[in-house]
Amino acid sequence: MRRESFRKAGFLLSMFWLLLCIFPLWWVLVTAFKPPLAVSGGATYLPFWDFQPSLHAFRDAFSGIRGDFWGPISSSIFISIVSTGLAVLLGSMAAYALIRFKFSIHLLAGLLFAVLAIGGFVVMTEMWNIRVPYALLVVLFVALPVSVWANGRNLPGPVLGNDDVTFWFVSQRMFPPIVSAFALFLLYAETGKAGFRLLDTFGGMVLAYTAFGLPFAVWLMRDFFESVPVEVEEAAMVDDIGRMRIFAQIVLPMSLPGLIATSMVVLAFIWNEFLFALLLTSSRWQTLPILLAGQNSSRGDEWWAISVATLISIIPMILVATFLGRMMRSGMLSGSIK
Amino acid sequence: MNDRVKHIFIWPAFLLVLVITLFPLIYALTVSFQTVRIVPPTPARFVGFDNYADILANARFWGAIATTATIVIISVLAQYAIGLSVALALHHNVPGASLFRVTFLLPMFLAPVCVALIAKMIFHPVLGPANEFFSMFGLENLPFLTDPNFAIAVLIAIETWQWTPFVVLLMLAGLQNLPAEVFEAARVDNISAWRRFRDITFPMLLPLSAAVIFIRLIEGFKIIDTVFILTGGGPGTSTETLTLFAYNEGFKKFNIGMTSALSFLFLIVVIVFGTLYLAGARKLTQRYAQ
Repeated sequence: MRRESFRKAGFLLSMFWLLLCIFPLWWVLVTAFKPPLAVSGGATYLPFWDFQPSLHAFRDAFSGIRGDFWGPISSSIFISIVSTGLAVLLGSMAAYALIRFKFSIHLLAGLLFAVLAIGGFVVMTEMWNIRVPYALLVVLFVALPVSVWANGRNLPGPVLGNDDVTFWFVSQRMFPPIVSAFALFLLYAETGKAGFRLLDTFGGMVLAYTAFGLPFAVWLMRDFFESVPVEVEEAAMVDDIGRMRIFAQIVLPMSLPGLIATSMVVLAFIWNEFLFALLLTSSRWQTLPILLAGQNSSRGDEWWAISVATLISIIPMILVATFLGRMMRSGMLSGSIK
Repeated sequence: MNDRVKHIFIWPAFLLVLVITLFPLIYALTVSFQTVRIVPPTPARFVGFDNYADILANARFWGAIATTATIVIISVLAQYAIGLSVALALHHNVPGASLFRVTFLLPMFLAPVCVALIAKMIFHPVLGPANEFFSMFGLENLPFLTDPNFAIAVLIAIETWQWTPFVVLLMLAGLQNLPAEVFEAARVDNISAWRRFRDITFPMLLPLSAAVIFIRLIEGFKIIDTVFILTGGGPGTSTETLTLFAYNEGFKKFNIGMTSALSFLFLIVVIVFGTLYLAGARKLTQRYAQ
């Protein structure tokens, strides 16, 4: 009897939560079809019953009388697809390397790099007045090779392994994004002064978002690659097939479900991202979230217009979430979530 | 093994993160010890720890920490409580579970900006459904977004709404990975459902729970989008979170040195909270393990 009452409570709770999940979505969906009177007269819920639905908000939005809609939509699409592709590709490669090869990095070499990079940067910008982007380039081409060379020597002290490298990638996500977003804004502004424009450009946004998505990709793909049997690869290696080909033609196809799932998660994060877009774009490459935030201030009470804009941003994500939910139910992702 | 090829695999990702994420931080770190203004432009001047001292003496900074911590701690606890209950219900296949599995992920895939816009309609003090709901209990036209306490409560509700699915997702995976034999044995011994949960399920899920809560705390501290849309930090600065404070400081006052210093202090706050939490979680897990 007790067991049954627990089941009943669980059922009620999940139904209540389901309703709570669905209601805001239902609300935004019907509001997009509301004529102005159905908004200003108080809350209305059911089309045809509460109010007569109309398409005027959609027509207004897409005819462009209410500002440019297609611009942000297309930049959102281009930026998020290209950066997701890059992040998943580079992330998978790194994850594969972290699974199949052994890395050892001397802590001292890492510290050496930090000291050389920060110290060199300060000296170059403050004392020699070298522009920031050039100073960073110099740091990259001097401090990095020196540290890599030092890492090859027999240094004393602790040695960091693959898990530490993975943690280094994932830890990028733990930074408050305002720290890196603001720093990146400063850096982009400086490269702009040096003649290479990155603020409010496609390239700048793709770079930022690829780096933003990489930690997820590394973290998720590592788990998927772990379940690929190493024997297949060893057999291919005996046949003298190169690592690159093994990776591209055997490993990637074998972890296709993982690849799809990872891409979707990364895509969702990039599509919804707000802070980087807010700081790094100003007009030409503004993304959808920025457009939405603008709607909020420019037409506070025109709910139908806001709802249409919101729907445009939500619908692709509903597809993604449903697809992922189905994948999970069919057990394709089992073991990937740890 | 042809070890050299590993460099081709890892260097592109490594370089990208280095150049895009870490190099700007080096730059921001040096800027945080200077006074730099864009508007009006003043030449950079080295000021040591002055920026940091100024912020630490600023009541707005502590206010932002308190606001952020309130929102994050309460909403994460709510997310965990609801998320674990829903995951348990789904794990035991309550009727309708299959429908639920497809839809319960939805909120966490929506842009926080969208969620905030929807919430702004729903919590409209006159025209929104929330007002209609509370009117049934005789509470009409509550100042949902214009009273500090109400506004914070609304923000907590939104965070909980959006991120509970994340907890459900991970706890459900955790439940499915628990060894079935233990539960079989418990059932044979006729141990009640509540005791099964208290003595077996919950302790076994504790390490996962600690990790899930940790992720949510770290992510929660970044909150800006919803606050930006919903209240803009107002009324006054009563709902200003750390990220919003940093943004306002940088883009309304154009005081770059100050904002850089602020974002590093923010980093320190997150590290302090994170370390405290991890220490606490370890203690709790150990106590349960005995």
